Amino acid sequence: MKKLIAMMVIMMMVVSLAACGAEEETKTETKTEAKTETVDESEWEIVIVPKDATNPWFVRMNEGVEEYKKVSGLNIYQKGTPEIDATLQSQLIADLIASGVDAICVVPVDPASLEPVLKQAREAGIIVIAHEGASLENIDYDIEAFSNDAYGAFIMDNLAAAMGEEGVYTTMVGHVTNASHNEWADGGVAHQKANYPNMTLLEAEPRVESEDNGDVAYQTAKELLKKYSELKGIMGTSSYDSPGVARAIEELGLTGKVATAGTGLPAANAEILKSGAVNALTLWDPALAGQAMAAMAVKMLRGEEITDNCDLNVEGYRNLTFKPGSDKVFEGQGWIVINKENVDSFGF
Amino acid sequence: MLSKITNRISTVIKNDIYITRLIALMLIWLVFMGFFRFEKFYTVINFQTMAAQFPEFGLMAFGIMLCMILGGIDLSVVGVANFAAIVGAITLKKIVGVDGEMLGIAIPIVFIVGIIIGAMAGAVNGFLISIINIPPILATLGTFELFTGIAIVLTKGKAISGIPFGFSEAITGRLFGLIPIQLLIFLAMALVITFLVTKTTYGKKLYLTGTNITAAKFSGVKTTKIIIKTYMISGISASLGGLIMLANYNSARAGYGTVYTLQCVLIVVLGGINPSGGKGKISGVILAIFVLQMLASGLNKIPEISSFYIPLIWGGVLVAVMVMNYFTENKKIKL
Repeated sequence: MKKLIAMMVIMMMVVSLAACGAEEETKTETKTEAKTETVDESEWEIVIVPKDATNPWFVRMNEGVEEYKKVSGLNIYQKGTPEIDATLQSQLIADLIASGVDAICVVPVDPASLEPVLKQAREAGIIVIAHEGASLENIDYDIEAFSNDAYGAFIMDNLAAAMGEEGVYTTMVGHVTNASHNEWADGGVAHQKANYPNMTLLEAEPRVESEDNGDVAYQTAKELLKKYSELKGIMGTSSYDSPGVARAIEELGLTGKVATAGTGLPAANAEILKSGAVNALTLWDPALAGQAMAAMAVKMLRGEEITDNCDLNVEGYRNLTFKPGSDKVFEGQGWIVINKENVDSFGF
Repeated sequence: MLSKITNRISTVIKNDIYITRLIALMLIWLVFMGFFRFEKFYTVINFQTMAAQFPEFGLMAFGIMLCMILGGIDLSVVGVANFAAIVGAITLKKIVGVDGEMLGIAIPIVFIVGIIIGAMAGAVNGFLISIINIPPILATLGTFELFTGIAIVLTKGKAISGIPFGFSEAITGRLFGLIPIQLLIFLAMALVITFLVTKTTYGKKLYLTGTNITAAKFSGVKTTKIIIKTYMISGISASLGGLIMLANYNSARAGYGTVYTLQCVLIVVLGGINPSGGKGKISGVILAIFVLQMLASGLNKIPEISSFYIPLIWGGVLVAVMVMNYFTENKKIKL
């Protein structure tokens, strides 16, 4: 038995060695071809890696990516893991590096866990673009839909309006390690301190996690509301937070007494917007974010220079500016507000 | 010479239907990938990537395998792995300076600390199962929560990041630029377990206890000792998996690798270990690990197969194998 396994291992090695030789040959061939002819853009392979494949947010992103693929005629596709899991995402990227793609655009589950694999990607000459991953180091560029502070302030304005500009509130993020969510929450809190003096942050639990999961958001909100009777508002960040919180508010009969504001998809939340459990949700369109990442990757593959005030020719991403103090993180102007009146007009 | 080899192969096929089945499954997949993605699959870098990916869950599967041979199961492996990785990460951050000084001493210390944690966690499992007599599924499900809970408290639920990169670089590096270090750790543990199971009295007692614990007791086997020992080895194996995860992601978090529990059970069953104990070989489990990794990496290279189908494929493979095993077992009974 052991011999059989040993034989197979040897066979595998031989096969892989042979394959390696073959691969190197073809590589040198294509290199010489590339010198004589113009670059064949149809050979490019650009992959968008979302947090997972089944989350409606990334299903919408996939729609945008597919549309961009059609318009550009390039080989661009989205490939996600079946569930949100940092280890699975890292392995998917390792597999993509091994299959020699040209660009990887990623929305990280847990930015810290991706650093080693993204480092390998860049060492292999692959272009790495991120979205919602401002803290990442091993990337070419990160594209944010907007300045995180400004978006946080914007959510806070919505929450303050719903709370009548007074009372105790707290903030909810997907994971406390998610850079964007936390920057929104920080921006919201800073905005409140500057503009809404009658509101106060719940000191015992200023930031809670929903783990990017509606049920966890709901449970956490329920616990919070039972534990702290003075709590009057919860600022959500991930697309699961406010909808989950709204369910808890409705179930506890606190509609109108406790408010929430945050990110959310229109179709999934039409009911809670119309019932008044949530006043207004804010959003950027994941389809456009996916297109912006793909457009940036194409721009870099074409060898165009990337500068401040960069135009990706995608709505909301026509004037990307560097985040102050960074030469990697771009910010667009891609936010939208959804309320009772316009919720049915988005089509997703 | 050739006839000798074919003879040997045919005896293997007759002797072990599980392994034959796995080899067939692997060959079918290899041929399939050869037809559809030859230039992407058959590359050195792809095999290196795969060899760096499976050790972390492969080591956890070893633990579950030993416990299953014993007639039990260890569902706490992922909890143990994360616990060990987190303590390892804290240790690394304490010892190693920003410029990477003390790294040479830190790596062995981290491994020793991780192994001690794994052994202790395994001893807790073994104690609950052998002395308190809690069924293994319940005991290890409970300790999974316990270890994860300790890990959450230690990290306050956050990921530990900003770990000196030296550790990650050392473990994710390649020997002679070719063989991933993770694979070497995996192979070392595989050798140790093979030795323990096939060459020592511990191995004999393990199979005996798994086949019939009452008979084993009356034959003078100290079954309590065997159970505690086995769960300790499982814990150590899982903690090594955890340390590899720490290197692969250069961070540690209580929630990493949650999908591995089911995946490892799938591997062990696929590898022909009998869930009621007493039967199965490590070679089957190693083959099952290879097959699963090739399936996963292969599927990641075919954009046409939507990720929606991946759980369906896993579930389908698991159920199909169990059904086939059922028929093999029944055929044996009839004969």
